[in-house]
Amino acid sequence: MTGYLTLEIKRMLRTPRFVLFAIALPTLLYLLQSGLYKDESVPGTDVKYKAYLLCGLAAYGAFVSALSTGIRIAAERSGGWQAQLRLTPLSPKAYLLSKVVVSMIVALPAPIIVAMAGGFIENVHLSAGAWVQLTLGTWLASLPFAVLGVLLGLLASADSVQIYTAGVQLGFGFLSGLLIPLTGFPSWVASAVKAIPSYWLADIGHGALLGNNNTALAVLVLGAWTVALSALVVFSYRREAALA
Amino acid sequence: MTIRDLRKNYETKTGTVAAVRGVDLAIGTGEVVAVLGPNGAGKSTTVATILGLTQPSAGTVEVFGKTPRDAVTEGLVGAMLQQGNLLEDVTVAEVIGMIAGLHKHPMPAEQAMRMAGVTDIADRYCTKLSGGQRQRVRFAMALVGDPRLLVLDEPTAAMDVGSRRDFWQAMRSFTDTGRTVLFATHYLDEAEEFADRVVLLRDGRVVADGTVAEVRGSVTGSVLRAVVPGATLADLLRLPGVTGGELRGDRAELSCDDSDTALRALLVEHPLAHHFQITAMGLEEAFLSLTSTEEPLAGSSISTEEPLAGSSISTEESR
Repeated sequence: MTGYLTLEIKRMLRTPRFVLFAIALPTLLYLLQSGLYKDESVPGTDVKYKAYLLCGLAAYGAFVSALSTGIRIAAERSGGWQAQLRLTPLSPKAYLLSKVVVSMIVALPAPIIVAMAGGFIENVHLSAGAWVQLTLGTWLASLPFAVLGVLLGLLASADSVQIYTAGVQLGFGFLSGLLIPLTGFPSWVASAVKAIPSYWLADIGHGALLGNNNTALAVLVLGAWTVALSALVVFSYRREAALA
Repeated sequence: MTIRDLRKNYETKTGTVAAVRGVDLAIGTGEVVAVLGPNGAGKSTTVATILGLTQPSAGTVEVFGKTPRDAVTEGLVGAMLQQGNLLEDVTVAEVIGMIAGLHKHPMPAEQAMRMAGVTDIADRYCTKLSGGQRQRVRFAMALVGDPRLLVLDEPTAAMDVGSRRDFWQAMRSFTDTGRTVLFATHYLDEAEEFADRVVLLRDGRVVADGTVAEVRGSVTGSVLRAVVPGATLADLLRLPGVTGGELRGDRAELSCDDSDTALRALLVEHPLAHHFQITAMGLEEAFLSLTSTEEPLAGSSISTEEPLAGSSISTEESR
């Protein structure tokens, strides 16, 4: 399995274009929006917007990167590569786990680079612990999206997977307030979007900044999403194998 | 390898399609078996079931006494599928090396690449390969696990004449070591030249099973070709001695159990007929005859319970 994983990582490094976009967009949006808000604080707190914005955009970068593996899986399914792998001792579990691991590796750079834009360009000052939670915490919490990417790859065709992935990326990005802060939205919208997992991903960073207990709840919700999506992945893979 | 009463149905929008309708097949160690049949005869489905890619609707498949998936997991079975893309962003050597790494007892990747004739393209990316080269890479992928049974679905479909010859040469060096090979093919000459045994499928059933000589010998009779202006197929099939046939324009091709009688009758009823040619049935005619998907319109009928019986020549099968 390590040989297979190594090859998958090599492949990912050779075609970094998906990830570059997932890093560039949130970084640029961050610089743009923190310029607009200048030194304003989030209402009711002394947290500056330029720090607060980091959470959502780091989360956006992480989850968009994590989803990108699904596009390859769909292509491998329709191209027949997956069938060829089924003729080797590689177990379905090892195949799917490798895909999740690769998604997670892909998801690592974006939150770190967005945070660096905050630290070095916008002079955001946070405690070391808060930086770690904002970057590595957000990265680890993007696990359900790595699983969701695999699921999309198993369900969609090679032609449609890009559209579904882009839909999830933009829909989740806007609705859960990652691209634009939700603070300006009506309160009922702000409540409704809590159904979206990416909302909770931003809360990993928010918890670090606001020092509230949002983080624990976010971990719980994202953990539940991971379990549910993993079950769907196993179900979809088995169903496709059984229908063949 | 043992297949018992294998059946496979596919659900489609218009109903259930039976791709395999009761195949029994036992293959011993060291045999080289060709599976022949027209498109839709159930070749690929049977192969996919042996490999564990498809679950049978009924019946059992055992490979070295195990389920197909277990046999594949243990590296006992190597396979080359009819289609299947290679990864685009990796080199030939990388993909073969990776597959070798998945097996417990692989042969060295270099050896597999040498046997399949891909050493000279080892560092090339898989996007840059021709159809024949891709097929050879797939062959190396099948070999690298050092399997005891090799299953090939139309292995030479994308190859030119030279590549086909090289491919079968490589295959011979593999089977000389006592491995078992099962291959599905459209090319009769490949079956004739290479296989110890030929299995003919038609409509999801085995219609003939034996050595090339046995299968050829099972079909007696000859083919009468002639140009018959103004005749209908029904007219021609009513002639004595004719068991089946086809008509393309004026050109008739009739399979006969008694070609002399058929020719005399043809001359009486169609005096304008000309350009006669009578040939004995070869393996190709035997193949067409045995794998015809149409029920004979006249003459002797084929019974699926009694393989190796003669029947009509199909109008559909391509040469």
